[in-house]
Amino acid sequence: MIAYIIRRLLATIPVMLLVAVIVFLLVHLAPGDPASVIAGDNATSDQIAAIRATLGLDRPLWEQFAIWIWRVLQGDLGQSLFWNRGVAELILQRAEPTVSLAITTLIFAVSIAIGLGVLAAWKAGSGIDRSVMGLAVAGFSVPVFVVGYLLVYLFAIELRWLPVQGYRPIAQGFWPWLERLILPSVALGLAYLALIARITRTTMLEILSEDYIRTAQAKGVATRPMLFRHALKNAAVPIVTVVGIGVALLISGVVITETVFNIPGIGRLVVDAITRRDYPIIQGVMLVFSAIYVLVNLAVDLSYTLFDPRVRY
Amino acid sequence: MRTTRRSVLGAGVAGTAILAAPAVWPARAQPSAKGTVRAVMHGDVPTFDPIWTTANMAAYHGNMVYDTLFGIDDQVRPQPQMVGRHGLSDDQLTFTMELRDGLKWSDGTDVTARDCVASLRRWAARDGAGQHMMERVADISARDARTIVIKLKEPYGLITDAMAKTSTPICFMMREKEAMTDPMQKIETIVGSGPFLFNERETRPGSQYVYDRNPNYRPRSEPPSWIAGGKVVHVERVIFQNMPDVQTAIAALQAGEVDYVEQPPIDTVPALEADPDIALQDRNPLGNVGWIRLNFLHPPFNNVKARQAVLWAVDQEAHLKATFVDRRFYQPCGSFLTCGTPYESDANTEWFKRGPDRAKARQLLQESGYKGEPVTLLQATNILYMTNAAQILAQELRAIGMNIQMVPMDWSGVVQRRAVKAPPDQGGWNIFITSADGLSSSNPIWAAAHAATGERGWFGWPSDELHERLRDEWVKAPDLETRQKVTHRLQENAWNFVPHVYYGQWRTPVAHRKNVTGWINSPGVVPFWNVKKA
Amino acid sequence: MTTAAAIAQPPVPIRGGLARFARRNPTIVIGGAMLLLMVCIAVLAPWISGDPFTVSPADRLRPPSFSDFFASGKIDRFGTDNLGRDIFARTVHGTRISLMVGISVALLATLIGLGIGLVAGYFRLVDAIVMRVMDALMAIPSILLAIALVALTGGGIAIVIAAITVPDIPRVVRLVRSVVLTVRERPYIDAAVSVGSPSRKIILRHILPSTIGPLIVQATYICASAILVEAGLSFLGAGVPPEIPTWGNMIAQSRLFLARAPWTIFAPGICLALVVLSINLLGDGLRDRLDPRLARRM
Repeated sequence: MIAYIIRRLLATIPVMLLVAVIVFLLVHLAPGDPASVIAGDNATSDQIAAIRATLGLDRPLWEQFAIWIWRVLQGDLGQSLFWNRGVAELILQRAEPTVSLAITTLIFAVSIAIGLGVLAAWKAGSGIDRSVMGLAVAGFSVPVFVVGYLLVYLFAIELRWLPVQGYRPIAQGFWPWLERLILPSVALGLAYLALIARITRTTMLEILSEDYIRTAQAKGVATRPMLFRHALKNAAVPIVTVVGIGVALLISGVVITETVFNIPGIGRLVVDAITRRDYPIIQGVMLVFSAIYVLVNLAVDLSYTLFDPRVRY
Repeated sequence: MRTTRRSVLGAGVAGTAILAAPAVWPARAQPSAKGTVRAVMHGDVPTFDPIWTTANMAAYHGNMVYDTLFGIDDQVRPQPQMVGRHGLSDDQLTFTMELRDGLKWSDGTDVTARDCVASLRRWAARDGAGQHMMERVADISARDARTIVIKLKEPYGLITDAMAKTSTPICFMMREKEAMTDPMQKIETIVGSGPFLFNERETRPGSQYVYDRNPNYRPRSEPPSWIAGGKVVHVERVIFQNMPDVQTAIAALQAGEVDYVEQPPIDTVPALEADPDIALQDRNPLGNVGWIRLNFLHPPFNNVKARQAVLWAVDQEAHLKATFVDRRFYQPCGSFLTCGTPYESDANTEWFKRGPDRAKARQLLQESGYKGEPVTLLQATNILYMTNAAQILAQELRAIGMNIQMVPMDWSGVVQRRAVKAPPDQGGWNIFITSADGLSSSNPIWAAAHAATGERGWFGWPSDELHERLRDEWVKAPDLETRQKVTHRLQENAWNFVPHVYYGQWRTPVAHRKNVTGWINSPGVVPFWNVKKA
Repeated sequence: MTTAAAIAQPPVPIRGGLARFARRNPTIVIGGAMLLLMVCIAVLAPWISGDPFTVSPADRLRPPSFSDFFASGKIDRFGTDNLGRDIFARTVHGTRISLMVGISVALLATLIGLGIGLVAGYFRLVDAIVMRVMDALMAIPSILLAIALVALTGGGIAIVIAAITVPDIPRVVRLVRSVVLTVRERPYIDAAVSVGSPSRKIILRHILPSTIGPLIVQATYICASAILVEAGLSFLGAGVPPEIPTWGNMIAQSRLFLARAPWTIFAPGICLALVVLSINLLGDGLRDRLDPRLARRM
């Protein structure tokens, strides 16, 4: 098991290196120049060139890459070209909102999705099943920001139950933290919910048709324990896999949701950095997101042993 | 079976209860904390050094934490701000300023003349007006701890005007330590002597910028007027909130989560006017002027007839209506220098009075020898008014037979590409769209874009000798009347050689909660002194 | 339990008429019909609607009026947008662009992914390298990759399509590769190798066919998600140039006028939801028929 984890971790190194190369090339080969953004409207070409030199952007590309990657290996993601802050510090400042949003969204989506999926599987073919699955397909089909605006309009402006926007650190109280995350989590969670509900349903159907469940049923095990203790437990592997795949979906959704609800998270940080060409931030955030994705999927693989004793590494 | 079904349902629906729960929560009305003003500005503070960059938001930041030697008032007259006694020698070649009492940096030390000399030098290296001034300055020095002396090579009437202006970069005073930094490098430490202190600990770059009242600031006794007069702060804290989505900002204002939105889209104005808790205020009477820059280096706009064709083709009313909607907020303007200033003129504005005239524009374009070559129009897609202006302009120019190729990109992309002098098919351009605030647009010296010095000048690189001579005469004009006469000739010539074209002038009102009062109107920056929150 | 019967429904050959096919495959028929309708609208766009490009600020934000729906040159059937453009015309033309984006991305991603996947799955040596690159591409958040590509290289439909396609390729590669790996262990491949068939022939004749079923299903999902991603990119200001009518553009632009002119979002919003829904339904139906094994897993 330990050996397997180490082997997997080692395998992520070339992947992360490739990510670094791709991200660096993408950012640096593209047109757009932070120096002219910094210089502003009244600057002349000479002034822009001078600023470019002070930022080190006039050096050969490979040299810039070498400097950057060497620092990253030492744990230094560099400095923002615009603010006097380190990229790591900026990411840490923005981490809490993004992580909070991801967690509340996960809890919201997974709890409801599994419930709905089990319900649909149990009542397969019925009206309930159809409407649950209909809702699930619909959940895929509406853009996150449309859902977001509808929720804001209804719950924040018309009914005034919840705030429109913003984020409060959890240190300032649980409720102020939670109330600002409810609408974003619902908006972001719908697509995710739809995905997991569908997987849950199909996996449950497959398992419910297997012999041991029929046996259990024949032996008079009640429906609820049967659904949850036997069937759902065996359905866990594919469900957890999808939760892992969904992290990518979640990260993508976070970028848009943070904009709609003005949540000062990492997604906003990187979108703003892209429009401004703040290279170190773009590179740093992409690396961090990629690392999270890789690690979550590693964790998902390892969790199989928990749910399914037959899986051994 | 029945019982189990209910429990399964219960489990499945437990999560759904989260959705239903809000029904029992009380309706909310939570104003932001007393003494804290939350403001949504038009953009993000890109960097904290307002000299290094000319970005407006950096000037807004600077206006909070730094002070200026002079400040311009609502009659567009420079008034002393950090300066007490000041005056020009009889030979008009020595200008002396004495700092007033009680000026302290936020680190507790006194503001000295040496600090100001270094700050003036650094600013002048980056600012158009400053450079113009420095060409006529022999030396700037500190006579003693409180006295700054500017020695001139020739009489120059715009010294205080330059130091008082509100267009970027503003002449902010910094400690000598920071001000000695290379003007091309950004400063890292923020120590000012302004009415607010920068709260670095609570600031989250890109999201919120926090400014606390400076308890040691001693305001002047005059009433405030633009950035002149007493900067008396009545609130404990001001927070600039950066909200990328203006729709969210409007909703937050309506819900009372923020107090001020600097640039609500005009389309939201009716809803805001109908809201009993929200007031709209016309902040900047001169507003903004929309500029269409034409590239003089390459065909077709290296030919004056092609430029005149654009002048005759543009329908300012259409451009303005599309984005600024309501006649209360916009005005077509044919004057070369901003309408509503003493320099407004109608010299040589036949194109404005009789235009737009498509047939005439088409004819001019043909006379220029244009044969349908592609014309590259840079379109900034992330700024609404620019996107709209580009689309309308493309339609107008296509209608007169121009083969317009739109190149969509974000504003950063435009800013980079407009500096390229190569031909359009090699990474250059023919047309781009921008805007300038009305005050700086009204001054042919300060707005770098008003120069016609060819490749040494601003993007588009217009070139015209007569224009340059007239600009020089304009500066030297001894009084307003003479200057207006020069303006007249300047405009007559400008609308013949067409250095650029305007698509109109507009003002965006600001929206604020009614319990927050005392907003001072000013071009260039938003003053937060004098603001009270009930 | 009735459920077992419900899912174990075997794929039926198309026999016994359309009615029977429809009864057995309701999702394919409903999704397919809706999609067909949209394709017809897309193809006929220039004939059934007016000019979607002409800006006319004097006519901006006119509410819809249904008094004379079919009158030619009438611009306020569905109302007008913030630049006075005809929303009906833009929605109809938007069908073209949005479907084109969806279909191009689906085609490009599956074809490129298929090529890479076949090679990677069949040749062990290539596999190691290619799959690391794919892992890396997959690890980079797709929307950030797309925004960065569009923002940094400038807009344009081609770039938007490329930006949405690139992050989808690794998913296709993985799918194809897994199919190839299973198939190549089969005895008949060994037989082909032993009689000296060239690799190219083995791949094309024996392996390719088994990938087609799962690929078609995957392509439908990619198509649906591409249309949504395009909308998201437009929302973030990194989409197709704003004068080009796509539903994503229209929805993104309408958000400033939601309170004042809600009609600006209705037509594109409903069309977008319907098309994505119909493609998803079609995908589900095809999956059930073409790939029962996948159907049970998905």
